[in-house]
Amino acid sequence: MPCVAKRLFNFADRTAVAGVGYTPFTKDSGVSTLTLACRAILAALDDAGLTPADVDGLATHRVGDSAAPSLVGPALGIDDPAWYLDQFGGGSVSHAVVGQAALAVASGLAETVVCYRAINARSEFRMGRAGSASPEAQYQTPYGLVAPAQHFALYARAHMLKYGTTEQHFGQIAVRQRAYAVKNPRALMRTPITLDDHVGSRWITEPFRLLDCCLETDGACALVITTAERARSLRRTPVLVSAAAWGGGTSALSGGRADPTVTAAATLAPRLYGQAGAGPGDIDVAMLYDCFTYSVLVQLEDYGFCAKGEGGPFVASGEGPPVNTHGGFLSEGYVHGLNHVAEAVSQLRWDAGDRQVPGAETALSTAQPGYVLPATSALILRRDR
Amino acid sequence: MTDRDSAPWWERVERGEFAVQECAGCGLARWPARAFCASCHAERWTWRAVEPLGRIESWIVNHRPFPEGSVVVLVRLDAVPGALVPGGWSPDREPVGGEAVRARLDAAPILWGPVSG
Repeated sequence: MPCVAKRLFNFADRTAVAGVGYTPFTKDSGVSTLTLACRAILAALDDAGLTPADVDGLATHRVGDSAAPSLVGPALGIDDPAWYLDQFGGGSVSHAVVGQAALAVASGLAETVVCYRAINARSEFRMGRAGSASPEAQYQTPYGLVAPAQHFALYARAHMLKYGTTEQHFGQIAVRQRAYAVKNPRALMRTPITLDDHVGSRWITEPFRLLDCCLETDGACALVITTAERARSLRRTPVLVSAAAWGGGTSALSGGRADPTVTAAATLAPRLYGQAGAGPGDIDVAMLYDCFTYSVLVQLEDYGFCAKGEGGPFVASGEGPPVNTHGGFLSEGYVHGLNHVAEAVSQLRWDAGDRQVPGAETALSTAQPGYVLPATSALILRRDR
Repeated sequence: MTDRDSAPWWERVERGEFAVQECAGCGLARWPARAFCASCHAERWTWRAVEPLGRIESWIVNHRPFPEGSVVVLVRLDAVPGALVPGGWSPDREPVGGEAVRARLDAAPILWGPVSG
């Protein structure tokens, strides 16, 4: 594979996350996605010590389920953003939005961009029952194959058949993340669970049980991206964007990827690590997109923490960096990707409270690994020294 | 439901025919329906009827909120080994990984079952 990073405009470590903000995560926010977006954005700006007057860029992703930058900007008095992005797509593009904001800031098109994602994924738009946005849905819906849980369950079973991965491996991921969520005041689910609870939870779509599935959530999350230089003048420890990569190309169902146990992350990972000049061994803490337990397992393989097929035993061994220290989408809540980035920032600022990974310097945060729509994206973040 | 690329494929399914596209430029077989060959980029093809045979790559068994007990299979096509085709499942038992299967096109839309059945 050619070293793509060498011919790229190099924006590694030139931008930083200067602030993060959340709304509470709930099952029924009672407000519009526009209101959720504004609340999270104002919280993130406040965290950074900034106001809407400092913002000259806005970025989000959505699937027709949320407020566009063209609505959010005027609502906050940001009438003429120098740069905005209204990216179509779900979890797979969540980290590309941050990467593109970093690119816009590094290039000078904008100085301070807010990335946000606001969803009422439980009370308004049931994410778990959503139909696929893909043109390939015509080959799926006639058989009742309509929801992300079913797609991921198909890939999980393929992995079980090929490599001997078990439901217990999935259960260990759920139990471990819940233990983190117990220490996270933001988390929706804070009661500890056991492997017996996992195996005793009802089937959703075999081989997935209820505790293999993330939480349909109402909520919003926002991040402030600015130049590294400006971030150093603000009140929080800057968290540098060391690498941002996005790409993909084919999905298991588009006739292009013959092996459903390998995700687009396997293609993207060398490019990502190359930008940061880092490898899996340098990652102190990882936020791996956990729409379902299995997606964590397959990304441990595809981001190089263990060999292909060894994700199950690797999970059982407890090796590798701490993963999803906020509890993840399984236990904290599901804001479609950005709350992974926000937790990585918190870990690198060393303000993650009881769940802090001591001395964390480098974090990996990843998007949906490219199963439902054929693309993925990821970031490597680094604590400023 | 269909699109302008796939309509001819669905019309064949309705007639009881299982077809794949064969590139007129390089001969590569492909599924699902696309106007361009991803390998040689020719925009010419023929439809080739094939035996609706494949092997079980994976399956799920649905529960609430989905139709209780319904099975969806993912079949690797013999005619296009890179293609994974979702479908319904006709037997009363669960599939077996790697099992050789044949599609029934008389029951809408496509139901798979064992080759020897």
